[in-house]
Parts: sequence; C-alpha cells; structure tokens
Amino acid sequence: MLRLTQLRKSFGALTAVDSLSLEVRRGEVFGLLGPNGAGKSTTIGMAVGLIAPDSGTVELEGVGAPTDAAVRKHLGVAPQSLALYDDLSGEENLKFFGRVYGLASTVLRDRTSAVLEMVGLSPRRKDRVGGYSGGMKRRLNLAVALMHDPPMLLLDEPTAGVDPQSRNNILDLVRQLAGQGRTIIYTTHYMEEASRLCDRVGIIDRGRLLAMGTVSELVASHGGKSVVAVTREGQGEERIETDDPVREIAHVFAAGTVQGVRIDRPDLESVFLSLTGRRLRD
Amino acid sequence: MGAIFALAIKDLRQLVRDKSSAFFTFVFPLLVAVFFGVIFGGGGGSSKINVVVVNEDGGEAAASFAEDIAGDSSLDVTAAPSRSEGENLVRLGKASACIVIPKGFGAAAGNMFGGGTMKVEGVIDPSRKAEGGLLTGKLNELAFRQMSKTFSDVTKMDKALENAKQSIVASPDVNDSDRMLFSLMFDAIGKVNRTTRQKAQNAAATDGATKEENKSALAGWQPVRVSFQELPAQDNKPRSSFQISFTQGIIWGLMGCVTAFGVSLASERTRGTLMRLTVSPMSRGQILAGKALACFVACLLVQAMLVVFGVLPPFNVRIGQPLLMAVACVASAIGFTGIMMLMAGMSRSEGGGAGMGRALILVLAMIGGGTVPMFFMPPFMQTVSKVSPFSWATTAMEGAIWRGYTIEQMLLPVGVLLGFGAAGFVIGVVSLRWSSDR
Repeated sequence: MLRLTQLRKSFGALTAVDSLSLEVRRGEVFGLLGPNGAGKSTTIGMAVGLIAPDSGTVELEGVGAPTDAAVRKHLGVAPQSLALYDDLSGEENLKFFGRVYGLASTVLRDRTSAVLEMVGLSPRRKDRVGGYSGGMKRRLNLAVALMHDPPMLLLDEPTAGVDPQSRNNILDLVRQLAGQGRTIIYTTHYMEEASRLCDRVGIIDRGRLLAMGTVSELVASHGGKSVVAVTREGQGEERIETDDPVREIAHVFAAGTVQGVRIDRPDLESVFLSLTGRRLRD
Repeated sequence: MGAIFALAIKDLRQLVRDKSSAFFTFVFPLLVAVFFGVIFGGGGGSSKINVVVVNEDGGEAAASFAEDIAGDSSLDVTAAPSRSEGENLVRLGKASACIVIPKGFGAAAGNMFGGGTMKVEGVIDPSRKAEGGLLTGKLNELAFRQMSKTFSDVTKMDKALENAKQSIVASPDVNDSDRMLFSLMFDAIGKVNRTTRQKAQNAAATDGATKEENKSALAGWQPVRVSFQELPAQDNKPRSSFQISFTQGIIWGLMGCVTAFGVSLASERTRGTLMRLTVSPMSRGQILAGKALACFVACLLVQAMLVVFGVLPPFNVRIGQPLLMAVACVASAIGFTGIMMLMAGMSRSEGGGAGMGRALILVLAMIGGGTVPMFFMPPFMQTVSKVSPFSWATTAMEGAIWRGYTIEQMLLPVGVLLGFGAAGFVIGVVSLRWSSDR
C-alpha cells in the first residue's frame, strides 16, 4: 500500500532519517516504535508529502507520490501536536477540513455527524474547541483525519498526553478503524500500545529502522530468553535466563524453600534494549 | 476553488470571533474617523443649519427678512457681501447653503395683494439636500412673519393696499365692474385696517389660532418662492473635515485587516494547522489565495462600512465621484491584500516577525496619512510618504472624494496599489515556499 524506499533527511548536521525503507501492507496496522527524537515524525512527514526527502522515494501503491495533491486525498493525518482551531466549535473544525478535502455539503453533513459520533463528541459538537479537555482535543484531532474517509491513516503519537480513559477510547477507535479495513501507520513510544494494536512493528532509533516484523517475530529474534526471578529467605533476587521457564521453576522449587517467583518474558522493550543498548524511555 | 472559499470563510469567522482583531479592524477606524473629523472642525456637535445670507436687494423689507433669518435659533448665519463669496463658502464646506435675497424682493413684499411674490434664491451643498428641505420650510415661516409685520404696520398695509389698487386699475384683464368692486374692497380693508389697528395688534397674539382656522384656504400657498440650486463640485479642497477623517479611518481599517490577516499564517504555523492544510490536497498557492480572499473581502467590508457611515448624517461626507471611489476601494483592497501576503509569507512566528511587520505597517500608515492628513505634511514628508502604500490609497480616495480627479489622474495611484498587490503576492508565495520544509 505504502512503500518508503531509502529515505534520507537531514536538518543541518543532524541526520533525522537515514536510509529508511519499509513497506506497509494494505489493511494492516503498522507500528513505528521508537523513543522521542528517533525520527518517527520526520518519517511520517515524508510519507504524507509534508517534508521533502533529501533522497529516496515515497509511493502510495497504484496512486503515486504524496507530493501530488490528488494523492494526498487518500491519506488522513493526525499530527502529534494538536492541529485545531480553538475559536471554532468541534463541528466547525470538522466541516472546515471536510471542505478543504472537497466534500459536498450533503456528504459533509453526514460525515461530520458520523465522525463526531465515532469519537464520542456529539454532545459537545457546538462548543468551542478552546473549552475542550486534552483528551477531547486528541479525539477531535483524530476525527479531522477521518473526515474525508481516507483508506490510509497516519497517526503520529495519537495518545500523547492524554488521560488513561481517553487513551483507551482512542485505542478502541483505532482498533475499530482497522476492523473497517483501513491501513494504519501508528507511531508511538509506548510499547504496550504497539503490542496491543499493531500487526507489524518497525523499530526505529536515531533515524534508522533497526528491525521490522510481527511482535512475536521481533521478540523471538531479538528479545532474548525469558527470565525467572526467584526470591529466597534472607537472600536477594536471583535472575535465571531460560528457554523453558516452567521447567526452570520446577527446578527452583525442588532445590529448597522459595519466598517468591516471577517470570519476566521478553517484550518489545527487551527487543529495543537488545537492539540499541538503551531503554525506550531513556 | 471550494477549498479557497472555505479557508477565506473560516478566516473571516475567526476575525469576527477574535474581539481584539474585530475591534481594530471595524470599530477603531470608525472612532478614528469621527474623532479626527470632530477635532478638525467637522461641526458634528451642532444641530444648527449653517447658512450664508447675501442681501442683494438692500431695501427695508429685505433687511428685515435677513434680520429674521439671522435671529432664528435653528440657523447659524453668516453674512456675505456678494453671491460669489457666499457660494464659495458653501463650496468650501463652511456653510450648507447660501441664501440670496435678490433685487426686487422689497418691491414684491410691498405688492403682495397685487400678485407680487417674494423670491429667494440660493445654492446648496448637494450632500445637505435634507437640510435644504428644512431650510425652505424655515424661510416660508420667516416670510409669514414678514407678512405679519406688514399687516400690523398701518402705513405698510396702506401702501400695500394702494399698490394692489393701482395694479388692478392698470390691469387690462380686469373689467370695469370688477375693478370697481376690488377698489371698494381695498378701500374697505384700508378703513378696517386703520380703525381696528388696536384690534389687529391683539389679533396678532392669537395668530396661530387664526391660521389654524384658515388652514384649508392657505394650504399649498407659499408666501415666498424659494429656489435652491445644487452647487456644482469644485474639488480641489475638502468641503468638510469628515471628508479627510473618513479617509483616515479607512487607512486604519486597512491597517487592521493587514495586521489581522498578516499574522494568520504564522498563527496557523504555530498551532499546527498549517501542517494540516499542507498535507491536504490544497497547494501552497491555494492556501495563500484563501488567506488573500479573506483579507480582500475584509478590506472591502471595512471600506464599505466607513463609506456608508460617512455619507449618512451627521457626517454627510460627499463622495464627489462614487464610481472612482469604488475603483479606489477595490484597488486599495488588492494592494493591501498583497501587503498582507508579503507580511504573512515572511512572518515565521506570531511574535518576532509578525511584531516587526505590525510595527512597519504602523509606521507606513502614519506617514501615509493615517494620522496627519497628507496635505498638512511638509513637502519633503509628502515625498517620503510615497513609499507607503497607504499614501497611494489616501491619494486615490481623496481623488475620488474631494480632489475631483479625472480617470487619467486616478490611473497612477490605482496602478501603484495594484503593483503593491502583485508584488506582495509573488513575494509572499516565494517566501512561503522557502520557509516550507517540503
């Protein structure tokens, strides 16, 4: 659906994206996981035609490059920073962006109602956005991207800075959108979001794509072994790496009295640690 | 095109909702126009009709009539020695009308019963037509008073009756029997006049009631025939201070539009919506065109609003050449839309760049006639002011309002304004392109 080939972008001496290639398949949720400053937003910027790459190409399969205005109609973008007009109501924001995308008035009315319903803002549709909570603004920010019903969505950290309830609402919405067959690129630095939502994940750091695959593939190839953490009377915690944690626990109990046992399975955090030597939140 | 209109409508809506921008775009210019108009002597506070009286007759009746006019509380009267001087005062806007009491007024007043009609002539400022109607009524009222004086003065009354008798005697259209009847009637009236002088004086006190009773018989009859002509424009000087101050108001309105919309692109950039617009199917040119359309419409609206307020009482600004005024307004709107685009394209943020743009626009407005009328400026300052687009807008509007510009004379300021518009658009688009990360 979307193919990025050997993308490179520098800002002065800083190389924000370096030789990045990836392909997002039709109908999948693709997660771009990396810490702040890893190059996720620059990649999204190039993918939507906002930022011109120094080299490399972006192609929306069968349509063309997003530098072409007609191609951009196929994309819906929810930027990381809220991009809304505070002095307009939620409904006015949606209608304005709908008109920018060329929606006819009847379609505009129907889509506005549908999208407001989808993000749970119908009761506040007439209120000025300046009076919305952070979570409501986030949902409206996402709603704007949905107005023209694009087949492909690029959601740049859509849960940044929201309360847990709004976050769950947004994640449910993304899952619902994926269920409708849309292709979604989802950037985040929350590994649990990537694990919950994404069919495939690309791990990015310092502008380079380090690994790509399903969560289980990445964990299997880069996550390392499971760890059995054992606590005994009068001793500290002992961590035992193992391929078979159940058998290891049986050994531990057979060897003597145990105060507590915990299994730490590898996850995307371990994958990232393994690939970069740093934690995601560092 | 729909996206451009959508962007323009959205920007205008935001302008109206932003109380500060709306105030400085629409309300403040009006306050400037009224304030400067009043302090430059617009006379907006006086409810009196300002008239010049020229007494060409010079007789007793004419002097008495002129005295009555001067003594009327609703009129502010200046005497002028000649018709031409009186008309000139109207032309300069120092009086609404010039009332001329022509030669023959006194003779007509003394022959009222013989068909003599007192005539008053004059000229009126076309922008004061409404006051002209009031003035005609006022002069008729004063003429009634003149008649009353004649009726209450036995000598004058006798003279009037004698004149009437002589007219009847001399008239070839009156047959002998009628002539005798009229003669007897005038004699009888004369007798009554002389013997009931005291009664007549008492009756004068109840004049109003008598008039009421005879209203139907007098209806439509006027004791004085007033004929006003509209004064043709002589437009090398302003006729009232509001003709200048409303132009200044328009300058401030245009400045409000430029500053309000000039920062709007920087504001879109700051709040991230420019990014959203850029990833939409709109091109950069369309985004700027949407901003330009909003600014153009706002410029036209603020100019139209000030013109409409200006021509209404009490300001009564006379637009000498309305069509050229419309051309000047459209050219100004285009010129200042270009200035706005220049400012928008070069402003990186709402703070720094936009702040400098605002300061520059303020200085250009001030030297362009926004605070001190250009013709008050010393010659070197008038030359310096040519760098300001506001100066060209002022010139074009004054040309249409009171300078009496021809189409050829209007071409230069209008052309310069259109040039500002085109240059601003090009530089604005190029600046936006440079500033883009794409």
